[in-house]
Amino acid sequence: MFTKGTLIYIAQRLVLIGFTVVAVSSVVFVGIHRLPGDALLSERLRGQAYQLLVHHYGLDQPLIVQYWNFAVGVITRGDLGESLVNRGLKITPLVLHELGVSAEVGGLALVFTIGLGLVLGVFAAVRQNTWLDYVLTTTSVVGYSMPNFVIAAFLILVFGVWLQNVTGGTFFYQLGGWRGDFGQLWLPAFALGFPYASIVARLTRASMLEVIRQDYIRTARAKGLRERVIIVRHALRNALIPVITILAPLVIGIITGSVVIENFFGIPGLGKEFAQSILNRDYAIVIGVFTMYAAMVGLANLLVDLAYVVIDPRIRY
Amino acid sequence: MATAAVVVDAQPIAPEQVSLWSDAWRRLRRNRLALVATIFLTFLVVVALVSLVWTPYRMSEIGVTQTYAPPSSAHLLGADELGRDLLSRLMVGAQVSLVVGVGTQLLVLAVGVPIGLLAGYYRGWLDSVVSFIINVFYGIPDILVAMIMVFLLGPSLRNIIIAIVVTRWMDMARLVRGQAFSLREREFIEAARAAGARPLKMLFGHLFPNALGPIIVQATLGIPAAILFEAFLSFLGVGVQPPTPSWGSMANEGVAAIQYAPHMVIAPSIALSLTLMAFNFLGDGLRDALDPRSRR
Amino acid sequence: MAPISFSFLKVLGLGAVASLVLVACGGGGGGGSTLAADQTLKFPILGDFGTLDPAQLNAESDSEIAQNVFNGLVKFDNDLNIVPDIASAMPTVSSDGLTYTFKLRNDVTFSNGDKVTSADVLYSWNRAAAEQGAYAGNLAAINGYAKVSANTVTSGAPLEALLEKNDPSVTLSGLSAPDPQTVVVKLSSQAGWFLSAIALEATTGMLVDKNVVKTDFDNWWTKPETMVGTGAYKMTAYVPKQSVEFTAVDNWWGSPKPTVKKVHVDILGNAASAIQAYEQGSYDLYGYGGYSNAPVDQILRIQGTANEKSQLLIHPKVRTTWIQFNLVHDAKRAAAGPFLLSGGDKAKNLRLAFALAIDKTKLATVVCHDIVCAPATGGLITKGLIGYAGDNTDPLAKFDAAQAKQLLDQNGGAAAVAGLSYTYDPNNPLNGSVAQFVQDQWQTNLGVHVDLTPVDHSAFIKGYLSGKYVLARNGWQADYNHPQDWYDNLWGSIPGCPDANCGSGYDTQAYDQLTAKADAEPLAQAIPDYQKLGKMLQDDVTYIPLYYSQGAFLFKPYLKGAGTNNFFDYYWDQIQILSH
Repeated sequence: MFTKGTLIYIAQRLVLIGFTVVAVSSVVFVGIHRLPGDALLSERLRGQAYQLLVHHYGLDQPLIVQYWNFAVGVITRGDLGESLVNRGLKITPLVLHELGVSAEVGGLALVFTIGLGLVLGVFAAVRQNTWLDYVLTTTSVVGYSMPNFVIAAFLILVFGVWLQNVTGGTFFYQLGGWRGDFGQLWLPAFALGFPYASIVARLTRASMLEVIRQDYIRTARAKGLRERVIIVRHALRNALIPVITILAPLVIGIITGSVVIENFFGIPGLGKEFAQSILNRDYAIVIGVFTMYAAMVGLANLLVDLAYVVIDPRIRY
Repeated sequence: MATAAVVVDAQPIAPEQVSLWSDAWRRLRRNRLALVATIFLTFLVVVALVSLVWTPYRMSEIGVTQTYAPPSSAHLLGADELGRDLLSRLMVGAQVSLVVGVGTQLLVLAVGVPIGLLAGYYRGWLDSVVSFIINVFYGIPDILVAMIMVFLLGPSLRNIIIAIVVTRWMDMARLVRGQAFSLREREFIEAARAAGARPLKMLFGHLFPNALGPIIVQATLGIPAAILFEAFLSFLGVGVQPPTPSWGSMANEGVAAIQYAPHMVIAPSIALSLTLMAFNFLGDGLRDALDPRSRR
Repeated sequence: MAPISFSFLKVLGLGAVASLVLVACGGGGGGGSTLAADQTLKFPILGDFGTLDPAQLNAESDSEIAQNVFNGLVKFDNDLNIVPDIASAMPTVSSDGLTYTFKLRNDVTFSNGDKVTSADVLYSWNRAAAEQGAYAGNLAAINGYAKVSANTVTSGAPLEALLEKNDPSVTLSGLSAPDPQTVVVKLSSQAGWFLSAIALEATTGMLVDKNVVKTDFDNWWTKPETMVGTGAYKMTAYVPKQSVEFTAVDNWWGSPKPTVKKVHVDILGNAASAIQAYEQGSYDLYGYGGYSNAPVDQILRIQGTANEKSQLLIHPKVRTTWIQFNLVHDAKRAAAGPFLLSGGDKAKNLRLAFALAIDKTKLATVVCHDIVCAPATGGLITKGLIGYAGDNTDPLAKFDAAQAKQLLDQNGGAAAVAGLSYTYDPNNPLNGSVAQFVQDQWQTNLGVHVDLTPVDHSAFIKGYLSGKYVLARNGWQADYNHPQDWYDNLWGSIPGCPDANCGSGYDTQAYDQLTAKADAEPLAQAIPDYQKLGKMLQDDVTYIPLYYSQGAFLFKPYLKGAGTNNFFDYYWDQIQILSH
């Protein structure tokens, strides 16, 4: 499956990703370090103690050297540095832990997106021009037109406020132990995924409609296969291909959309950390989280391109 | 004997020749959703213009009524946590959204179109470089970069527009590049080249007008994306600064008080959703109208 | 053609409904009279603490947690009387009032088993004085403090080395330990406030364990293994910015013996979600930890909810909030601005203009609904405390838009105050509303636009104490009922103005002289002098008074012993969780 050509392509892409991450994070690095004021927020450190701390963080060295040390640290040890505000707090374990949380919500959102989107798209296509189709089509435009926090707010209003007596309350809180707690995760994941589910639904519908008219489908029907089998086994698989096209921007959209959703629900993931650290003026964490995001986005793009190779045997790099 | 010349009303055998534009216009008119969307958007523009000179109450006036007041006849949308009239703030928020939406797209056009044209027409090393740059920019997580940019440059409408343009110009550039790519093989370009047309005229006098359809669709669909982006930034607190209201920051304030005063979040949420929907329907309508393949 | 079954959708729909039902409804009945099996107390705080090191602590949000982990020789009880803690009895005081002799209990141990002796008292106090944290001044009355406070090595391994060898530059000469159970303190001059100062929970009078501090001199408090104190609770888990957990110390020497075995504190982003979680049953109380601020809409809602109203407690807190001007600009104070003392009368009139332009009564009504705050009209010392100047005595509390505008126009106009920003911490829900309110007042009444800059709480505290902001929120919750607590900690050279631990940077010779005089007098005699200090601050227009605030707390009915006085939350070892 992975020919030499594909492997070369992967290598090229990884280089591109590396370059992008380096370029972007260095721009951010420089930008942040040029901010006026003292990165260390020293309030009572005087003289020697202050110098010691500055030296500890390497802030007394030229910017290039600082960046070089940072880059080397990331590449060789995966060390994203140390928090400026909570001294002694290493960034890499913090970020990895939060990545897990974000991935959980994001993963669930992805499942909603693809699952719900495909299902709705197929139904709309199969029941084309019926009332169901119109309802679903309009819902999908509404879906991707609404900001995800509006969807979240609306869901909270409905389930958390108006239906309080049924469900017991609102959903914005956070208990220790987010892992695997579907009851807490479904609402944020749904709000995060619904706009993209709508896009997937539209795309699926359109490509299903094209595929259904194809000759090989007519052949299958003529052969007497049941409709459901036809749809699932023949039409759907081919209709999926255009969906894969948007998988990359979709995953990236979920990754970035999670910044808003996490802040909304107080979910302790990367997005919340990012916004919090900006407010906190903890530049070390800002750079660390940002670098991680840039890498994730690049990898997401690459993985989707590789998924193409798996799905469609005609594609070779 | 001479036959009298009979004037026959000559019915054309071929269908009436129509230009792309009038044909598109006719089809757009028939698209009811797009029509409704246009009406709504016109109304929005009017509201925004009106709010420049008049709002029911001064939009930043604190305590003009009871805090958290629900909608009433004096205050059609109620009041927020500082007793400010929500309707007035919503109207001014429309200005922000429209300025961001249209402003970013104008800049994106100014940046993306030339780059796309150059890359698509000349190809070669120029195209490689441009494509590489575009790919690099696609690898950037846009909201994060925008947040950092706004944080570094200071939160203001101008900086938000710049941040959005910096992170989203590639869609237009890529589209235009693709258009230039396919158009350059056409005969009329060959003809122009043979006639000795100069590069600038080639690009902007020939290629550009023929790519205009998809460009307009892309720009129209880019507006809601930009408005959404700004709403996200405002929701996160790095949008326009108080006292200027933005629908995103109004929604943020509304969410905090959602249990006690749900009207605070409903108004800006609906405004945002309707506006985004309207632009999306319009963009879809334009795309269907301008697409030469989907004749019905 | 067989129709597509709708089984997919049905399953989806059912699944959705099922998950909704699965969401737990919170508990919430009233308490029985037997203890609950699970004695774990859970509550939220709205921001991570800055530090829990008693030598560095300076914020209520830190002390309300740390007070359960550290003890001093004496402490305040729930009724604000000073009672012995690690000391076995109140100290004997010499007739000239300069020598205090403390006898220590012999059963006090740190949570890691290390026995507490008088050497620990000396170590802790020397370290605190040398580090020059915000409350180092609590030890200022002790002989030798002037020298120690002037030392330049204030943190890290170098300081640790000096302390190890009892270097004179970091040793308070007034402290001595004739035997392991006795500490003798010699004051440099009489100080009626001395006992209050060392009783102040969680601050410089508290004892730390030398053996753990030296493992990581500055950050020992961040790790459960080394976060060691003499208190009823010890830290057993800490995920920065997320949660922290404390467990009761076995066989604790103090009393009451803790009933609550574990205290779990979640660090949440916002008050609304914290309160909702409380209502869901995820938390047992709200408001502890220095975050007794609930958004007004939540309070209004809860007051309107029949079965919840009784859980809400609005309690006076000796807390005043005001706006500070940056008054000094030098090499160590980054902020400059048009309000500097060095700007003379012109700058003073600008400050006055800004002060008079704000309608404090309207602020209390609109922002606080007159529930959680009242206009501060009698000076900065909160109403009800000794040193309160009396209603409507503060000229800076007046609202006079016309005069404000006139002052502004006569002293440079809007151009003189262009480009300003007001900095605040958004963690407390009121602060954002107050910020928008004052911004609007300055715009409407002066025609001046001021930007708003939110900075997260711990970064904000560090920032304003080091003179980074031209205009910022400031506030103070009294530590004990003595004006010295205010005048010695907020202005003047004692806390370190203008360059450290000082919001506005205000420091004049007259102020320092009068403070020194007042601090040495017995309280009754000192009050008029303290009042004069207050007047000095007003004459120099050093602040814009805003409001005195109330704290808002929520307690589940099954909690016994939880509560608060004007100054601090009741200690955790007093709490019992009844079955529910």
